[in-house]
Amino acid sequence: MSAPGREPGPGEARASAGLDEEADRWLVGRVRDGDRGAYEELVRRHRDRIYRIALRMLGNPADADDVAQEVVIQLWTALTGFGGTSAFTTWLYRVVVNRCLNHRRGQRTHDELADADHPGVPGPERRVLAGEELQAGLRAISGLPEDQRVSLVLVQLEGLSYREAATVTKTSEATVRGRLARARATLMSEMKDWT
Amino acid sequence: MTSTDARLPCGREPDALVAQVADGAGDHRDAHQRDCPYCQAALAEFDRLWAPVRAVADHRPRAPEGLLDEAMRRIRGVASDPDFGSISDVRGRTRISAQAVESLARHLASRVPGVRVALSRLVAAGGGAETSLIGGPEVTAGVAGSSTVVSITLAADLGEDLIALGDRIRAVVADGIRASTGLEPVAVLVHVDDVLL
Repeated sequence: MSAPGREPGPGEARASAGLDEEADRWLVGRVRDGDRGAYEELVRRHRDRIYRIALRMLGNPADADDVAQEVVIQLWTALTGFGGTSAFTTWLYRVVVNRCLNHRRGQRTHDELADADHPGVPGPERRVLAGEELQAGLRAISGLPEDQRVSLVLVQLEGLSYREAATVTKTSEATVRGRLARARATLMSEMKDWT
Repeated sequence: MTSTDARLPCGREPDALVAQVADGAGDHRDAHQRDCPYCQAALAEFDRLWAPVRAVADHRPRAPEGLLDEAMRRIRGVASDPDFGSISDVRGRTRISAQAVESLARHLASRVPGVRVALSRLVAAGGGAETSLIGGPEVTAGVAGSSTVVSITLAADLGEDLIALGDRIRAVVADGIRASTGLEPVAVLVHVDDVLL
């Protein structure tokens, strides 16, 4: 795992993250002209990223699958509102993160009612995701407060710079740094029983 | 050591050690840490507690198969019937959709050095490759019997010899389609839409 929050050079960032902003820009231009083939290619290039962010934000594959599909459908119409002033991936991160937060908020009431009737049983993630460490990590991260979780996912896990994460969340770099530090401290405290 | 609230007996801030571990620099100890049992114990404990987060960071899940297809189906609505080509021999007949030819052509073209991105789109039955280029299609494939015409639109890397690139794409795509489907690519039309830095 590389050190998060650093400022990679443009070439390094593109190579390490599998990004090609120029190609994305070309595709987005064609999508905005109504080109569905370009949209399919754009989604094909980013679908793993969309799913991965959703899984890290939500903590289980079933929810991540739902949100990823919703995002793919939402993007088709939302791209008309993409001004192109920021990189497509920055904008994409914002769309996915917001969708995850809305998904979680919508679930909360439902879950509170359902939990009373159904005691905790291993969910589908226990069957799908191998590794106790991985499951413990996802569980702990999904329990973080929203603002801490977003900073942790973007910077610590996705490797965005503080500046990029600040752009995604429309906050300052100092805010992102502070939230990340609190997220780390919270996780350390929450994991104290981890063996 | 699980709390990050209090200073260590040596005076160091636990939060700084947490950051050091989280940044993947737990082993990069400064002179003080190399001699300090409190720092060494704290770093070791934080490293152990951080293992689940590292596991999440190292996990690179792929989107489930079908996620894109399902979403695109919902965007497209009811899919139109594809155009089919067919190969017959003594053992029977194989039908190959235009969509399959397009996907194959896009895949082959996108792997040619110098091609930055290539696209694909299905054309309706009876749509010829050249007339369907109006409006800017990407890879279009007309299939009839055992013949096919493929048209590819792409963005190339800046600095490429585009004529030579076109020749390479034509050769790779024609050979690949012939080998994979048995269809005869009677023409491979290459359109370079843009060059990218």
